[in-house]
Amino acid sequence: MQMKRIIPLLLLPLLAFLLILPFFRSISALTNSNSDAQLEAGVQKIVDRGVLRVGVKQDLPNFGYRDPESNQYTGMEVEIAKKVAAELGVDIEFTPVTAQTRGALLDNGQLDMVIATFTITEERKELYNFTTPYYTDAVGFLVRKDSNVQSSWEALDGLTIGVTQGSIQWGLLEEIAAEKGIELNFRELGSNSEVVVALAAHRVDAFSIDQSILSAFLGKTNELLDLQYQPSEYGIVTKKSNTDLATYLDGLVQDWTEDGTLQAIYDDFGLKPVTEITE
Amino acid sequence: MDFTQVFNADLWASFFQDWDQFAQGFLFSLLISIGALLTALFLGVIFGAMSTTKSKVLRFLSRVYVEFYQNTPLLVQFVIIYYGLPLISNFVLMPSIYWTAVICVGLYHGAYIAEVIRTGIEAVPVGQTEAALSQGFTYIETMRLIILPQAIRTILPPMANQVVNLIKNTSTVAIIGGVDIMFMTKHWSAVHSNYIPPFLTAAILYFILCFPLATFARRWEAKNKEAY
Repeated sequence: MQMKRIIPLLLLPLLAFLLILPFFRSISALTNSNSDAQLEAGVQKIVDRGVLRVGVKQDLPNFGYRDPESNQYTGMEVEIAKKVAAELGVDIEFTPVTAQTRGALLDNGQLDMVIATFTITEERKELYNFTTPYYTDAVGFLVRKDSNVQSSWEALDGLTIGVTQGSIQWGLLEEIAAEKGIELNFRELGSNSEVVVALAAHRVDAFSIDQSILSAFLGKTNELLDLQYQPSEYGIVTKKSNTDLATYLDGLVQDWTEDGTLQAIYDDFGLKPVTEITE
Repeated sequence: MDFTQVFNADLWASFFQDWDQFAQGFLFSLLISIGALLTALFLGVIFGAMSTTKSKVLRFLSRVYVEFYQNTPLLVQFVIIYYGLPLISNFVLMPSIYWTAVICVGLYHGAYIAEVIRTGIEAVPVGQTEAALSQGFTYIETMRLIILPQAIRTILPPMANQVVNLIKNTSTVAIIGGVDIMFMTKHWSAVHSNYIPPFLTAAILYFILCFPLATFARRWEAKNKEAY
């Protein structure tokens, strides 16, 4: 009888552990598989193949967006990718990526480059090649137009800020709030679209994440505050081993920044890169 | 990342530093469970009784309630109450996270408990009711003195299982941002990149709540077999 009582007590936590184990396997698989053999003339290989395979976002209007009717990709990042392909004189093949898939698709060789609001960080530089930033974004705030929230930290005092699970905004905002002497409440939800629903239902007063993401949710009822923190620089990403391509792309981005090509593309999509953070 | 991290003292130490946050999450889960249980029992008894009466209208109403809540996901009900209600009421009806959880889990399990009670009452042979009524007992007396004391034997074990399910289902509140055990676990582990201690502890905390109830149900069922 005594044993019968103890066995389930021991088995259950073990079972729970076994259930979450595969999750960690996939994480370590992602981080370990980037040390493949170096390709010679990584750029020439693409030219020989005649196709540049690019990972882009498909759900971020103005950055990377696939029109559900025509199946055509549009956006600032798509235009840059097309220019790269034109420069190489090859065709282009787009693959939609998400924050979860873009690294893995590079690592396993399905993509040559990713241009998908990929923020440059020190940790990520260990895993991938990043070019010079082609765009600088920042974390901002999306509010309802009818809520009449002003663009200042004081105006946010006492409001509830919606953030997405696993994002860093909560911690960052708490630090800023303490600095500014204001009080913020937080509501953490599972996905961007859930926070937007919560905003519409008056459950949160503002949604804080990268402005590029927020711009997808502007609609008729929402607007961006003219208030940012934590700039994030987006770079074109290539597989760690393909340094040839990384160097080549970096040269292109630098040239296009200087000769105004990038600025022209921003203008086409009404984008304004963040030059200074309003504090 | 390997099996040894289950016993990694540093991971556990950093987890226990924020233990008070998890304790509060546990308390929140407990409070939702209590509120939802009271709601579910109340609704279950009312609708369970309604479905055993002779009135066709009452039986129909009870059927509609039970079928609606048994055949729609709890998650959808949470979203409807928490986001939908403010939108259709022009932001007048805005139940808090706590009350949303109590209402949704309460209504959902009320439907299941109503079925448990209905089947429990129906399991008592109809001859007993007929005999009691023929002896001059009123309907209420028949229920109170003859039927329910026997029905309770059939009702309690599945009822305890419903309570266990109710406690586990309170974790749905994490979807709307309620800071319960599940929410704390997901949030804390993502922020600290430390997964095993919080997830194991969450499982153990739910286990502590549910295991005694499940054991009770099993014992009672065993006892029932020897009853007559």
